[in-house]
Amino acid sequence: MSQQRGITQSKESLLKSYNKRLKDDVKSILDNFTEILKAAKVEEQNQVSTLTQSDQARYEMHVRAANIVRAGESLMKLVSDLKTFLILNDFPSVNEGINQRTQQLKAIQGECDTKLLALRDDMAADLYDLEEEYYSSRHK
Amino acid sequence: MASSSAVERLQALESIEKEIAAVLQNAGLAVQELCKDKPNERQLDRHTGQFLKSLQDVESGLSQEINYLTQVATGQPHEGSSYSAQKETQMALHRVEHAKKRLADLNSVCTQGSSQGPQQ
Repeated sequence: MSQQRGITQSKESLLKSYNKRLKDDVKSILDNFTEILKAAKVEEQNQVSTLTQSDQARYEMHVRAANIVRAGESLMKLVSDLKTFLILNDFPSVNEGINQRTQQLKAIQGECDTKLLALRDDMAADLYDLEEEYYSSRHK
Repeated sequence: MASSSAVERLQALESIEKEIAAVLQNAGLAVQELCKDKPNERQLDRHTGQFLKSLQDVESGLSQEINYLTQVATGQPHEGSSYSAQKETQMALHRVEHAKKRLADLNSVCTQGSSQGPQQ
C-alpha cells in the first residue's frame, strides 16, 4: 500500500512537472517576445556610440529569438511526452481497446466453430452413403 | 466511445503541435513587419494579436489535457490483455486446419478408390 502511494505520488509529481514546464515555456515565449519588441525601440544616444548600441540590441534580439525557439521546442517535447503518457495510462481507452479486440477475436472464433459444426453435420450425412458403399464392396 | 475520445484526444494534441508552430510563425511575422522601412501598424497589430491568441490556445489546450490526465492516471500499470481471446481464436483456426487436412486425406482416398474402381 505504501509502495502504491509512492507510485501515485511520483505520478502526481510527474503531472505537476508537466504543468510547470508548460507555464515556464509559455512565460518564456511571451517575455522574450515582449523584450524583442522593447529592444526594437530606437533610443537617443547614450553613453556608447550608436553602432555599439545597435550591435548590442542585435545580439540581444538574436539571443531572445533563440530563447523563443528553444521554448517552442520544449513545448513540442512536452506534447510528445503527454501523448506517450496518454496512450499508456488512459485506462478507459485502453480498456475499450482491449474489449474491442477481444470481441473481434471471439467473433472470428465463433464463426470458425459454427462453420465446423455445419461441416460436421454435412459430413455425417455423406459418411452414411460412403460407409454403405465401403462395407458392401469386396475391399473391406 | 472511450476509444473515439482517445483518438480525439490524440488528434487534439496533434492540432496543439500545429498551433505551437503557428505561435512561432506569428511571432516571426510580427517582428518581420517591424523590420520594414514603413511598418504597417494594422498588420503589426494583426500578427501580434494572432500570436497572443495562438499562445493562449496552446496553453489552455495543454492544461486541459494535463487536468484530464490528473483525473484519469493512477500509479499502476495496466494489466489487462486480450491474450485469452487470442489463444482461443488460434485454437479455433487450428481446428479448422486439422479438419481441412483430414478432408484432404479423405478426398485422396476416395479419388484413389474411384481410379481403381473399374478393376472390380
